[in-house]
Amino acid sequence: MKVLATIWKEFLLLLRDPGGLALIFIMPLALVIVMALIQNNTFREFQETRIDVLFVDEDRDTLSGHIERSFQASPNLHLITAVSGKPLTKDAARRLVQSGDYQAAVIIPHQATFDLREKTKRAVDELFAYYGLGPATLANNTPAVELEILFDPAIKANYKQALASAVEKMVTGVQAEWLTDAMQERFSGTEPKQKIKIDFSRMIHINQTVASENERAGLVLNAVQHNVPAWSMFAMFFILFPLAGNFIKEREEGSMLRLRLISGSQFPVIAGKFIFYLFVCLLQLVSMISIGLYVMPLIGLSKLVLGTNSLGIALTGLAVAMAATGYGLLIAVYFRTPQQALSFGSISVVILAALGGVWVPAFAMPQIMQNISPYSPLNWGLEAFNDLFLRNASTSVILPDLVKLVCFSLVTLAASVLIHKSRTVS
Amino acid sequence: MNPAVDQLSFNVPEGEIFGLLGPNGAGKSTTLMMLCGLLKISAGAIRVFGLDVDKEGAEIRRQLGVAPQDIALFPNLTARENLVYFCRMYGLKGHVIHEVLHHYLEVFGLLDKANMRVSHFSGGMKRRLNLIAALLHHPRLIVLDEPTTGVDVQSRNMILDYMKKLRMEGVTILYSSHLLEEAEKLCSQFAIIDEGRLIASGTLTEMLAANGGGENLEQLFLHLTGKGIRD
Repeated sequence: MKVLATIWKEFLLLLRDPGGLALIFIMPLALVIVMALIQNNTFREFQETRIDVLFVDEDRDTLSGHIERSFQASPNLHLITAVSGKPLTKDAARRLVQSGDYQAAVIIPHQATFDLREKTKRAVDELFAYYGLGPATLANNTPAVELEILFDPAIKANYKQALASAVEKMVTGVQAEWLTDAMQERFSGTEPKQKIKIDFSRMIHINQTVASENERAGLVLNAVQHNVPAWSMFAMFFILFPLAGNFIKEREEGSMLRLRLISGSQFPVIAGKFIFYLFVCLLQLVSMISIGLYVMPLIGLSKLVLGTNSLGIALTGLAVAMAATGYGLLIAVYFRTPQQALSFGSISVVILAALGGVWVPAFAMPQIMQNISPYSPLNWGLEAFNDLFLRNASTSVILPDLVKLVCFSLVTLAASVLIHKSRTVS
Repeated sequence: MNPAVDQLSFNVPEGEIFGLLGPNGAGKSTTLMMLCGLLKISAGAIRVFGLDVDKEGAEIRRQLGVAPQDIALFPNLTARENLVYFCRMYGLKGHVIHEVLHHYLEVFGLLDKANMRVSHFSGGMKRRLNLIAALLHHPRLIVLDEPTTGVDVQSRNMILDYMKKLRMEGVTILYSSHLLEEAEKLCSQFAIIDEGRLIASGTLTEMLAANGGGENLEQLFLHLTGKGIRD
């Protein structure tokens, strides 16, 4: 009864605090949308994006033609051969990349086809000479054919690597074809024979599949999958703002004094606040997940994929809410002024969030930070959500993280009750 | 470090209005906080209705109503919401809450303002509501710390009249104030303390006789505590 009365009282107080309501519900929703939009490109793989690449063809022969055709067939690259109606030159491409207008330029030098063909032929001649099938040749020590790729310094490392690999793969394909041609020519001698075409690209296929339960192929960590659970937890831990703010205000205004003067345990006061703000945290999570499901797809972001373990999601939400509320309560009880509580509380939540992988996923952190990260309650929650959303994990898989969150909650709650009790009689 | 109160001993007769008086820093608030169980007693004992404050604080608080000097209410709740919440925390239930609320709101002239937020109340209305919150559970002992500070004459009369009515009903009232004229009219017995020590106690007549006469409580008070400013 006393607990229910406290819950109702907290509800009325929050209802009449527009600033608090905005802080709890509006700000986190805005935050998760803004962060998802900002980080959308950061989380995209090379395969998911389409970048403009300048193409300077000084070769105008087979090699550059092959590369151009391959690039044009790629869904991830948009090849630009002319700017403002003028064919691109090497200098123009360099200027455009330097100025940041384009992220990369591929330059195929003059006579690249001829030089590469010659080098290929020489290699075959050397091979035949080695086995006594042809005359001795001069050592093949002519310089390598130099294709040039210019990069904008701001280009993402994985884009850079992917583009360089793509060019290298194309050239290797052409070279393998020419190597086969040259060998056929040597074997057939002067007799005209039909050319054998070997499709090297069909010799091996790398099948990329996401390792998850229930074969949910294709689902990878993206801006929505990362930001919705991450910033939901951040917002839930920021429950300490209204919680600590109201608690300390009650202490300063004197209403807490009256409650201390009322006979009986102070537990209903603490428990009522805990349960009410726990419920608020869960509401926050539901509203953030709803944004991921229904709003983000409308603004060009991916739809949040929840997985199939509804029980696991509910338990994780509850455990994170308990941990967030417990922490908020401890801050509220421990600090004597709102300035102390809110300053310490907000900075500590930012630190715990950073350590937990809210801003940058833990796997992308330096090793030392990766070692510290598992000590943050936000990391436990985020890991559990990632297991559920991305890996479709069963409840038993996330159980260790849930136990840690609940233990954290119980410890902070117990500490809050003890501190509050000790201050009831000074 | 000097103790806030030392060698302080007095009895409050049951069913009386007892004035605890003293200049600023005399130790009145410390004494009241110890009585309410908000401050630990380092030496000595306080007994209320035969119960030890240190050991049986919870039982004492059940029989104790306190109207602190600072308004101890939730400003963003209405008067009714405040009182309902405190009733529930006192353990009152159902229709009893409704009856108690109606009675006190009517007595203190707040019935028509019951659904107004406390933050919109005048000083006098807040003070009356602060007092009601201390009376909800029908305590046997009421502690009033400056109950009429900042209130108008009408509100003050209303509060003092009701205190007298409670005394007629057998309730004991421990009253602390700087308003000596008001204390003289209201209280039957007094304790004057200074620098943590008791310097006079008894009825006004007894104290005047024991301390070389004088005309009223204020003259006696100044005679005992001096005219020097304390703050």
